[in-house]
Amino acid sequence: MMDQEFTSGGKPFIHYHYAHCETGVTATLFRDQGVDISEPMIFGIGSGIFFGHLPFIKMAGVTISTYRTQPGAIFRKASKRLGGKFITQKYRNPQKGMDELRRVLQTGQIVGLTTNIYWLSYFPNRFRFQFNGHNIVVLREIEQGFRVSDPVLDHPVDCLTEDLERARFAKGPLEPHGLMYYPKFIPPDPDLKAPCIQGIKDTCRMMLKIPLPVFGIRGIRLLAKKVIKSADVYGFPEACRQLAGLVRMQEEVGTGGAGFRYLYAAFLQEAAELFGSGELADLSREMTGIGDVWREFAVVSARIIKQRKSAEATFAKAGGLMLVCAGREEQLFQNLYKVAGKLRA
Amino acid sequence: MKIQEVPQDITYYEGQKRACYAINNEGKYVVVPSSGWSVEDVVNGLAVDEMATALEETRKAVFSGLKSPLCYHMQRRQMTPGILAQTAGIATFRVKRHFRPAIFAELKPSVLERYARALALTVEELKTVPQTPERESK
Repeated sequence: MMDQEFTSGGKPFIHYHYAHCETGVTATLFRDQGVDISEPMIFGIGSGIFFGHLPFIKMAGVTISTYRTQPGAIFRKASKRLGGKFITQKYRNPQKGMDELRRVLQTGQIVGLTTNIYWLSYFPNRFRFQFNGHNIVVLREIEQGFRVSDPVLDHPVDCLTEDLERARFAKGPLEPHGLMYYPKFIPPDPDLKAPCIQGIKDTCRMMLKIPLPVFGIRGIRLLAKKVIKSADVYGFPEACRQLAGLVRMQEEVGTGGAGFRYLYAAFLQEAAELFGSGELADLSREMTGIGDVWREFAVVSARIIKQRKSAEATFAKAGGLMLVCAGREEQLFQNLYKVAGKLRA
Repeated sequence: MKIQEVPQDITYYEGQKRACYAINNEGKYVVVPSSGWSVEDVVNGLAVDEMATALEETRKAVFSGLKSPLCYHMQRRQMTPGILAQTAGIATFRVKRHFRPAIFAELKPSVLERYARALALTVEELKTVPQTPERESK
């Protein structure tokens, strides 16, 4: 999906449709500087794939489980590994933050912003939740607002100045404080091989080696066991709410499907071509298979929720599918670590 | 997921599409726009309905004199007292106190003004709640 657009310097800008906001914005900033790099590549190099179950943090009564690393980490890691230098700035004063945005846009530079998705009124109402981690790219100032390239939409949109200011300076958990970032220096033709290996190894370590039961493969297992028991522990309606929250994290929030698993499979496929490695291609296919199991888990969960009556057997089934995912992912990341050790940059 | 399997079930994205990664016939990953998945509709619908029910209860509570309109508008913006307090620059315990209709009715215009700005409403809107249930958030 492409659209002809331009920045305030009159430079043409091509809008692409991305699955995820943070990788999308990072890829957009690199592509704008003439570096041809895809979203899966950014995701893999930035070690985006993860699993974490955080039982002690609740949002709207639902415990948080995440299929990705913490917000901002992908951008930070990917840009560092690719050798890009970025200027990042937070503001206390909204007026100053908006003035600075205008100043940078006038130099012809496109700017990445972290925003609260609730105040971005160009989104369909059902997507608008108080969530402070949505990333967008601003192209130029227009009458009464800004032209915005939102990576998860398939076309650029207009955003009112008032909306954008509210979105940038919203309060609550993970306050963005008007965070904006734009490149100072991007290497014209960065080497992808070394960053790929770095990204893969980092990911394997995070999935396998964190000695806490809530992260990585251990986290999936912990949560799977919780899901199996959840109807007995919380009662059916509450168990459904928790399960729905989990599936929303997996499918709703711009993951490209199956909690980023397909996105990572796409990265492994691209890496396989880059290195000419058959082993990586095999692992990509295995990752796709794991993604399909996650999708099945979502389907089973939706059925449980729809029935709205006691159905312990299916909670067991849903949790069982997660255990399958955990087992296969453990195997995959172990193999991936070995394969990455053999790759030469 | 193959490109033929990318769900095109529903239209609640209001015409917007979302990018999914799927395998094409040559076995390569490509981006496929999806119009929505029925599974998402179920899980997201649960959350949306829950919020709508809570909001409707508050709306009725305002009419029966148990809650102030401020509480309704806060919920409508999906905020918590803590977030509203920070946005308006008013202490959380005061915000909670202002949920009581009698206390809300005596608020100074300057305080109402701050709430109105925090919630992106006019002061007039802030003082009333709609007569009928409202599902859209803007």
